[in-house]
Amino acid sequence: MQATTHKNRKALCVAGACGLATGWYAASSMLLTGLAASVIPAAGAIAIAGVLPTMLAKGRNSKENDHKLLTMSQRLEALNHHAGINIVNENNALTEVNDHLLTLTGYSREELIGQPVKVLYDDNAKDVADEVRSFLVQGKTWQGETQLRRKDGSILFTQSTIMPLFKANGEWAGSISARTDVTEANKLLSERDTAQTLNELRDDIWIVDSETEQFSYMNRAAKGRLSIESDEYKLKGLADFNQDKEIQEVLRACRALRKNGETNTQYRSSLIGVPMHVSINFLPGSNGEGRYLILFNDITDHLQQEQIKSAFISNVSHELRSPLTSIKGAMGLLLSGSAGEIPDKAMTLLDIAHRNADRLILIINDILDLDKISNGQLEFDVQMVDLAELVREADNANAMLQQRFGVSTKLQGLEDAMMVQTDPNRFIQVLTNLLSNAYKFSSPGSEITISVQNEDDYLRIAVKDQGTGIPVNEQHKIFDRFADMTNSDRMTKGGSGLGLNICKAIVESLGGKIGFDTEVGVGTTFYFNLPKTLPDTVAVEEDTVRQIA
Amino acid sequence: MIKLLHVEDDADIREIAEMALGLSGEFEIVQCETGEAALSKIESYTPDVVLLDMMMPGMTGRQTLEKMRQRPELADIPAIFMTARAQHSEIEELLQIGAADVISKPFDPMALPDQIKVAMQKPR
Repeated sequence: MQATTHKNRKALCVAGACGLATGWYAASSMLLTGLAASVIPAAGAIAIAGVLPTMLAKGRNSKENDHKLLTMSQRLEALNHHAGINIVNENNALTEVNDHLLTLTGYSREELIGQPVKVLYDDNAKDVADEVRSFLVQGKTWQGETQLRRKDGSILFTQSTIMPLFKANGEWAGSISARTDVTEANKLLSERDTAQTLNELRDDIWIVDSETEQFSYMNRAAKGRLSIESDEYKLKGLADFNQDKEIQEVLRACRALRKNGETNTQYRSSLIGVPMHVSINFLPGSNGEGRYLILFNDITDHLQQEQIKSAFISNVSHELRSPLTSIKGAMGLLLSGSAGEIPDKAMTLLDIAHRNADRLILIINDILDLDKISNGQLEFDVQMVDLAELVREADNANAMLQQRFGVSTKLQGLEDAMMVQTDPNRFIQVLTNLLSNAYKFSSPGSEITISVQNEDDYLRIAVKDQGTGIPVNEQHKIFDRFADMTNSDRMTKGGSGLGLNICKAIVESLGGKIGFDTEVGVGTTFYFNLPKTLPDTVAVEEDTVRQIA
Repeated sequence: MIKLLHVEDDADIREIAEMALGLSGEFEIVQCETGEAALSKIESYTPDVVLLDMMMPGMTGRQTLEKMRQRPELADIPAIFMTARAQHSEIEELLQIGAADVISKPFDPMALPDQIKVAMQKPR
């Protein structure tokens, strides 16, 4: 934006320009509305038609003036056809608008005359209107882009020159604006910039027609990877790469997206052997057809970093286990009396240390599990097992913990064997986690019910406590990592804050679902459903061992 | 008495294991700090069972077992691994190369004697 100062506007009038300016303004005003003007524009206003220098230099001869006035009138007419012009009074109310402005904005003259000029501005550009006014009252001309809003609500970008108007006595009289529609030019520039940006992106970008499955766009990175010259890709479709499994995978993903009525899918794969994160967006057209926008993000570096991080976590965690083996072993021997009689108070302290060593081991195990989940490396040993037996085993394994918290358990629905295809150790891990939470949040003397319901396709395992319940504002984050660390009460209960997150990952990986019902002051029931046979979507590798995908 | 060769680089863990096994009164324990020392020891000492740490400087527990298995007179001695890296696939792998059992660290010292005796009974 530019501003031109007209501090010498009175001097210009004195020099005889006022009469000429009056003539110009009268002509311009009549062109706009057919009415005679009653105010005099400043020199800047004349400059809009590009006539002032000519008039000042050659305006001494009246015949020449008449001739120039005619020429000026023609110029003004040209301007009138080129630009949207409006005049506002000292109150910033629209007093005159030309036909071109009406065409540009979609308003009628009656709808605009008398309205504040801000009615033309988009809500986002109201500040610009204030800025323009602050320029004008100082006698400055304002030039810049203005964002107007058409009557139909659409945006109209204009390149505007807005000049102040002053009465003969020098008083502020309003302003005149000439606006050129640059909406289309902006759009083209924006599209060109977008195209240039896409072309320079490091990611590979394909745009594929959903009907023909032919490529309609490839950026530089994509062409380079597929060794495609120039616009050759436009002659090819996804199906033309039928020897390439990775591209056929993209084709299948595109078709599935459309078939399922979805708009986005993302997965990890590779392209020409390079590991990629693939994102496919279906961009619908007007008649049901559309385009697939396919982005390939090279994740080689990301995977390397993940491996380094994972190796670090794994090493640190395992290194922690060696000293913990000594700590826990030494305390275990002391507690067993192997090293002689221990006074009661010392036994209490030893017991605290021993329990916290156990807690530390659980936290380390959780961190290791979480890292494996994040990397899709959590292993499962899936077998056909009796769930009733596993529940009893988990209950027995936690007998010491029950005793410590002063709670008891009741088993329901375990009369008959219930065969299920699952990983027994991971099942016990999940159930132990739910039980330990139930113990921690129950009052001494409470009873915890472990039940198994045999449904058609699945078994529901539930752990019901008589604890404090989960407040509504905490329920949504209960399966988040470190969810319970935000609650000071929960912090005192121990735990890594990862347990339920890990349970969720394990249950879902085994094709099941986990959830809870809770009522504050009454208690909580955590449950998880496990399918009796693993669904096809759960991959099984090497007979029994599989990994989370 | 069960003649047990314990190979473990961590002195504290060696001491705890020795105490825990000694308390049962059923074990005669010989300890080595490295796999190399263990291979040297078995030239003159034939144990009934070997308790092997997995991660040791120099030869790992696995490499030590493989060397032992190359000697016909030691091929049938039950070997039990102790490891802090007890992922399912790793345990499976160790069992496949002939481990009688895999005990996860940290272990319960009071349960250790029974764990070893049970592993020794497993058919190989």
